[in-house]
Amino acid sequence: MNRLKPMTAIQEGQTQEFINGLAEECLPYWDMVEVGDVLERELHLSPELVTLYADGVEDFNPWYEAWRMNSWRIPGESPFGGAIVPPLLVSHFVLSVQFDHTKPFAIGSIHTFHDSEIFAPIAVGATVRITTRATDKFEKRGRRYVRHNAEVVDVDNDTLYFSETRDILSL
Amino acid sequence: MTSTDLTHRVTSDTEVGYALQPISKKAVIQLMGSRLWGRFNPNHWDPGYAQTTGLSAPIQTGEMSSAYIAEMCVNHFGEHIFQGSRIACKYVSSVLADEVITTGGVVTEKTPLERGFRFKVDVWCENEKGEKKTVGVVEVTVPE
Repeated sequence: MNRLKPMTAIQEGQTQEFINGLAEECLPYWDMVEVGDVLERELHLSPELVTLYADGVEDFNPWYEAWRMNSWRIPGESPFGGAIVPPLLVSHFVLSVQFDHTKPFAIGSIHTFHDSEIFAPIAVGATVRITTRATDKFEKRGRRYVRHNAEVVDVDNDTLYFSETRDILSL
Repeated sequence: MTSTDLTHRVTSDTEVGYALQPISKKAVIQLMGSRLWGRFNPNHWDPGYAQTTGLSAPIQTGEMSSAYIAEMCVNHFGEHIFQGSRIACKYVSSVLADEVITTGGVVTEKTPLERGFRFKVDVWCENEKGEKKTVGVVEVTVPE
């Protein structure tokens, strides 16, 4: 039994079934993106989504809490009024926008770099539009990289919250 | 220390060379493989699969390290990190499951503005052996 991830036979079988499901025919990230590609999606930053993000990195800052056990949804408190989302939360979701998420891409691509600007706090409960533009594909020391610029705005009032340049190392 | 604890806050009196208080986190495989983080890629959570791709153990998504750095910065800059800041990170080495990752940061520049200062901070994440995993820079404006 693996020390890092103890599992019984039934769990191992379920895990293998999940992994096999990921192994469908897919393209490397490099082949899925052309320079100039522009994609966008909307994301509702619900209290529960923010909790899942923050719990994963064990960040228990009360400013991010618009959901609390027993109380459930609450307005929360921060220096900006109600609860806000962690500074880099929206960065985590850019990956789901910068390629056609309806098509599988090959496991093995690695996020290597981001340069992010935070312009304004985002209230928990906001819906944002994430727009990505593929700006470059390049090779460096025998490795292939895809560069994107991303912008995150409020769908209701167009407030620019966040922008980012990021690189993915592709298979 | 919490975001509401002002003891370690960077203020207009803070000088170049000031060291941010680190935070430490264990790269727990169950968190690395949670649905919102790395579940979509078994390299982030399955030891057997990771071995088949040449990894000695599952690796954390780089964005978890960036989140650790952001948490450290919120501890020191509070609400100012959410208004006109910059966080740039380069993932120079993979974080392996079970490693203990500790953040660090040192103020390297302090530029006067009309009403406050622009601070530049070198930031990083490293493991127990002091091996750098993530390096970067953070810029924040602190009003007077």
